[in-house]
Amino acid sequence: MIVKTQELTRTYRLGASVIMAVNKVNLEIKEATFVSIVGPSGSGKTTLLNLIGLNDHPTSGKVFFKNEDSSLLTDKERRKIRLQNIGFVFQTFNLLPTLTALENVELPMALAKVPRKAQREKATQLFEAVGLTDRLQHRPKELSMGEMQRVAIARALANNPSLVLADEPTGELDSETGTEIVKLLSDLCRKRKTTVVVATHDEKIIDMSDFMYRIRDGSIIHAH
Amino acid sequence: MCLRNLLRRRFRTSLCIFGVSLATIFIVAIGATTTRYTATIKEMNIFFSGDVVVVAEGAMVIQAFPVVGGNLPVSVFEKVQQVNGVKTAVPMLVRFGYQVEAVIQLVPTNVSIGIPPGNWSVLVGYTPLKPGGNWPSADLGKKEVVVGSSLAKQYDLAVGSKVKLEKTDLTVAGILDSQSALLSRSIILPLELAQGLYYGHTLWIGNMVVVELEEEGTEKEVADRIEAENLGVKALTTDERNEIVEPLLHDIETWNLGISSVLYLLSMILVTTVAMINVSERRRDFATLDAIGAPRSSIFRMVIIETILIGLLGGLAGILLGSITAILIASFYTNIPLSMFFFDLFDIVPPLLMIKILASTIAVSCIAGVIPAIAASRRNISEVLRSEY
Repeated sequence: MIVKTQELTRTYRLGASVIMAVNKVNLEIKEATFVSIVGPSGSGKTTLLNLIGLNDHPTSGKVFFKNEDSSLLTDKERRKIRLQNIGFVFQTFNLLPTLTALENVELPMALAKVPRKAQREKATQLFEAVGLTDRLQHRPKELSMGEMQRVAIARALANNPSLVLADEPTGELDSETGTEIVKLLSDLCRKRKTTVVVATHDEKIIDMSDFMYRIRDGSIIHAH
Repeated sequence: MCLRNLLRRRFRTSLCIFGVSLATIFIVAIGATTTRYTATIKEMNIFFSGDVVVVAEGAMVIQAFPVVGGNLPVSVFEKVQQVNGVKTAVPMLVRFGYQVEAVIQLVPTNVSIGIPPGNWSVLVGYTPLKPGGNWPSADLGKKEVVVGSSLAKQYDLAVGSKVKLEKTDLTVAGILDSQSALLSRSIILPLELAQGLYYGHTLWIGNMVVVELEEEGTEKEVADRIEAENLGVKALTTDERNEIVEPLLHDIETWNLGISSVLYLLSMILVTTVAMINVSERRRDFATLDAIGAPRSSIFRMVIIETILIGLLGGLAGILLGSITAILIASFYTNIPLSMFFFDLFDIVPPLLMIKILASTIAVSCIAGVIPAIAASRRNISEVLRSEY
């Protein structure tokens, strides 16, 4: 089991009221599977992904990453896990605008202190895998939305993570490109035996998934 | 990456660098001017060390030289010579020139010093004349003078050239080979010739008397004796002369420090403000870095390096433009042509001053980046990422 949550709850204060973003969620994600978390906007998908990805702390409940209780980890340890074991793909790509596509992909490896030559080799391989070998030196603003998301996928896979979290990866893309991107993500991760968790309200992605959780108002209402 | 981040916001970065460089220009210009002032005053301290200097009671003295007022009658000089403990007494007539072509300058542009022939070393020590030159003849009919190297360079004077002083043509007998601020701008002439030019008579001996002592370490006693026997004079020991200028030097340094501190503070506020705006605008970038596991220290370092770059570029530009400003100021208040100063840039703005100002500007920018860097590295990433959608 790569990720397991136990009564996972996250609330936010908004003035006097308390928003229950994630409410007592229990889920188990097996290694090398493609999992969808499906739900409408505001259902708590992003918050759940942030909790699983160790970007956020639960109000109550626990997240186990590779059977390790994340609540016992220090901030430094959580960052190390994020850097070496988790890859993120965002809806708005979140590429650093001042870096070229190649540098964006090399960035996680540079942070992990991978030797420069190895960074370049690995990044080149990833660009071949996502089909963007002719865009290495382009800045994000010079790329199309689909190309930016391909770069983001390459970046997410740079440090060979065991888990990739994708938050609405098709949200900014047209239907055809969206399907291509999800297929690319799915294929790459299956080849590398990487677990993928996709938060989406795109019903088409469900067909590609090994497992699906449906979430509404912060609670899992259906698991399949 | 940091430079690219700054270049991405070119206009704001340029304005910020401009602001820092503007502050640095003022700091360099004020620093160089005050450093030159204080160095010149301190340099005057080397003259007549260990001797007693006698001046009229009302004279305003800077170090050993009466800057304003107070002539001494011959009788005073004669009395001083008789005082117990006095080995030799050399009268001098010192006149600071503030006027150039009918325009009064802020600071003296030259100084004429009349000394009895044969006593030149009392003023210049072992400073030599440039080859081919001689000390002025005792024959007053020859009307000879020695000029400092800076004056000679400025007015293209050589041995045999004519100079006009108090509407009188004088002949340059020699050129003093000295870099001293005072000596290089001096016109040294026989005392009697100076008396004729400035007084028109010899009833006044000059405006100062340099007293060499029979015994070292008796300055205070001899000075007290001179003052007791000669009404209306001040006999200043080396310590007393230093005490006169210390408050002046202290005031100059305090003002310099005060103005520099205010300018550094303004630079710091500017850099902090700009860095905070940059950090606020790039919150998604920092959240992304956070999400992919970048250590807090690397995010912190990134912001600090950006502010240091602003300080470095602003500092370098400021030092360059500030040096030019300092030269313009020096040229303006000394009436020495700009061309002469450009070759002596490091005399006007010493390299150590440049390094100190650059280091201070970088340090201030580094400190200015601390708050924005903390803000960037301590962002709540989940809130930033959530608010994106």
